[in-house]
Amino acid sequence: MKFYADLHLHSHFSRATSANLDLEHLWLWAQLKGIRVIGTADFTHPGWMKELKEKLKPAEEGLFTLKEEYTKEVKRGLPPSCKAEVRFMLTSEISNIYKRHEKVRKVHNIVFAPHFQAAEQIRSKLDAIGNLSADGRPILGLDSRDLLEIALESDPLSYLIPAHIWTPWFSMLGSKGGFDSVEECFGDLTEHIFALETGLSSDPPMNWRLGQLDDYVLVSNGDAHSPQKLGREATIFDTELSYPAMYKALSDPDNNKGLLGTVEFFPEEGKYHYDGHRVCQIRLSPEQTMANKGLCPACGKPVTVGVMARVQELADQRQGRKPPRWRPYCNLIPLPEIIAEAEETGPNSKTVNTLFFQMLHKLGHEMFILSDAPIDTIQKAGNALIAEGVRRVRAGEVSIAAGYDGEFGTISLFTSAERKARAIHQDQLTLF
Amino acid sequence: MGTCMRPNKLNSLQWEAVTHDKGHLLIVAGPGTGKTHTLTQRVRYIIRNLPGGKKVLAITFTHKAAEEMRQRLSQQPAGVAAIDGAVTVGTFHQFCMDILRSFADKTDLPRDFQLASPEQIETLSRQAWPEKTNKERRLSLIDVSEWKAAAYDAPMPAGVQSYNKILRKEALLDFDDLLLEALMLLRKDPGILAALRGTYAHIFVDEYQDINAVQRDILKMLVGGETAITAIGDPNQAIYGFRGSDLRYFERFANDFPEATVLSLTDNYRSAKNILSASSQVMAGAGNVRVSALTARMYSEGRLIIHSAATDHAEAEYVTHQIERMVGGVSLFSFDSARVAGHEQQGNWSFGDIAVLYRLNSQRVALQKALDRSGIPYQVSGSAALDISEETIDQFYPSRPVEPDISVEKVSLMTLHASKGLEFPVVFVVGCEENILPLAMGGLTADIEEERRLFYVGMTRAKEALFLTRAERRFLYGQTHRNGPSLFLSDIEEELKEYEQPLKKKRRHQKDDEQLSLF
Repeated sequence: MKFYADLHLHSHFSRATSANLDLEHLWLWAQLKGIRVIGTADFTHPGWMKELKEKLKPAEEGLFTLKEEYTKEVKRGLPPSCKAEVRFMLTSEISNIYKRHEKVRKVHNIVFAPHFQAAEQIRSKLDAIGNLSADGRPILGLDSRDLLEIALESDPLSYLIPAHIWTPWFSMLGSKGGFDSVEECFGDLTEHIFALETGLSSDPPMNWRLGQLDDYVLVSNGDAHSPQKLGREATIFDTELSYPAMYKALSDPDNNKGLLGTVEFFPEEGKYHYDGHRVCQIRLSPEQTMANKGLCPACGKPVTVGVMARVQELADQRQGRKPPRWRPYCNLIPLPEIIAEAEETGPNSKTVNTLFFQMLHKLGHEMFILSDAPIDTIQKAGNALIAEGVRRVRAGEVSIAAGYDGEFGTISLFTSAERKARAIHQDQLTLF
Repeated sequence: MGTCMRPNKLNSLQWEAVTHDKGHLLIVAGPGTGKTHTLTQRVRYIIRNLPGGKKVLAITFTHKAAEEMRQRLSQQPAGVAAIDGAVTVGTFHQFCMDILRSFADKTDLPRDFQLASPEQIETLSRQAWPEKTNKERRLSLIDVSEWKAAAYDAPMPAGVQSYNKILRKEALLDFDDLLLEALMLLRKDPGILAALRGTYAHIFVDEYQDINAVQRDILKMLVGGETAITAIGDPNQAIYGFRGSDLRYFERFANDFPEATVLSLTDNYRSAKNILSASSQVMAGAGNVRVSALTARMYSEGRLIIHSAATDHAEAEYVTHQIERMVGGVSLFSFDSARVAGHEQQGNWSFGDIAVLYRLNSQRVALQKALDRSGIPYQVSGSAALDISEETIDQFYPSRPVEPDISVEKVSLMTLHASKGLEFPVVFVVGCEENILPLAMGGLTADIEEERRLFYVGMTRAKEALFLTRAERRFLYGQTHRNGPSLFLSDIEEELKEYEQPLKKKRRHQKDDEQLSLF
């Protein structure tokens, strides 16, 4: 069975997350977005763990479902066209901050557990060494390697995936707090790492530039800090619905048939794709940064080096090379952003919200609209400009001013001439 | 921890100290001057030139220091076996316990005596002084301790007699007894003394500024004839006067051990220039004559940041916020370079590089609250400043074996007392206020010069950045105190200080304020 999974997200117990990041809203938005399996997130947090135990019940092996009684309230917001089963997998992200080889390392890692007992064991071990209550994604002065060991000890099927591996400040290969290789980070336990999360600012082709990553499966997750952001990146599985089946698809190099590929942001849209200084409003391509000797032309201080430059720094393969076990991917832009572009308004506006739900009612979940729905049905359900926007996204005909130093990249799908034409035709007529 | 900037090399002053061949030696070793390294090298040097059949004795104050010395010696090229045969390393209490056990038949002590635990002392002191209140009993115990540590040549007071009697009936000795009984045995039995002098050709004593009368007298008995002494310490770091240590013995070393040489190590390899200058100015503040100028051998300037917060909670929030900034965006998933201020961005600090030091354990509450909220990992280490029993226990018992548990990095919270001998790239000394530094609270007025030395110890733990913070209003022991800045701060010249303003309110709040002011 083909399904989408988003296994890295957060609960309302994590810092800087929205208050409605509860199981009910995650259940709802997973269906709106078309995600079948989502992470519970934050199982290290005592309050969230309590909620998980109370509200979830076992479904297929290693997966959980929201108890019926908790779905009633949010169900009203669910278009019948989107109705689907949602499964939860026990996951938690840890912020590991520690010194290794005389350098401070800041690495975010996602830990996966096949059952509550394993999750509890990991939780209690971490509880003994740090503060798990302050943040759903706890900060621990713990070596990534040692976190992996704790995970592995909890169950043979527990595992760890280094999160958004290129983010400059908090990741395994990041320019600021990272390492130069997986092995440097995980040492003697490296063989237990089999998957890497590309993060919003990188896509598979960027990762293919590094021969050392050939042996790893690339996964994508949305790292949502609000339910609406669920599934903005995702991994596509083709397995039976169970934790062991998904584990096998990720971990068994000879049998990756269960893994169809990933759904990606356009990496330029990510917050750290290029280099620069947000306060100085200076955005630099890696080449420009090099020409400037790594310094900001405005303030003269070193710029924040983004993902692209870091990839180029570690790259040992030509652009366009595909590793032996490569998986397909597609770059998507969230539907609300496409609608917002078409309507020339903000993605959180009422107009966008109305059109978004109108389309979901008519067509089905967002992932279907973005990747599978015929363009003419999209046009009927929304309008011509939105339909053209989706077509362009699918075709990669997108112009993006790359993100840098914490600033998201900005997309333009349409030219001003096209918008002008739309104004004249009052959006009733077919434009193209 | 100690400094180990030059693991194999010695500077000329260190070399002079290591190879000194002309009798007794006192090494004055300021903070970060390579004290432990020099002492270890000297032990090794002396061992190499030992007459056949002789040994050396190395005495430390804490078990931890003894462990470190053993470890360092076993790393020497001479090899573990050669070192083991030639050196006895231990605390004063261990050494005296060994003497008493070895010559048990020559003492009047109960056979197979045991060391009284704090709980046993508590119980037995009730029996000894049934009429006394808890507070009176505690004071009596301090009296007993003071007599045993320093006044034993005066007649034994009745209180000590009744207390000792009860203890002996249970075949128990307290910590002070170990030292005093050993001294009495040495005085009484020239044979034992001769045997010990015959065994030990050289005695090394670490932290000599912390010595008390009974320890000095034991050393005076042992040293002489063929037996020489090397003592090392720093008079500016004498902080244990409240429990009987007496700095005068450091100053009288040359009288106690005739024809002794005194050498000073003056190159500091720990602290950046500004930090070292500021700490020297604090020491010199009271026209202190003991200061021997230290020269910074670190090239960086270092930062000395002064911050005044409105309340103890604001002070704790400031510390927490600074730690977040220094480690870099701890609480945020993503941030831009502006969140990490210029020079801090270059800092390569993790939680284990940072220590927060305070005068009183009670100051810790606000800090812990703020850190708990932030999620910054921290540990409270060391023992309570005024908890004598705990520290004494630490001196005697072997530290618990290090559990094979996974090691984690955490910010260290500890008292100024507990920080002695440690070093951290970043140090916060909180509560730099009148009545706290120097301490004057609840009828307790500490020796101001000892408080100055304590502050100096705290400052000199810092390698790269030192934060001195205070609260204008502090809630402590059930009431709000309004204390001015510590007088020690005014001893630091303004040029070295960087003032940091209280945290700016979040923009959202500012907006609220503006809106409110419209109405």
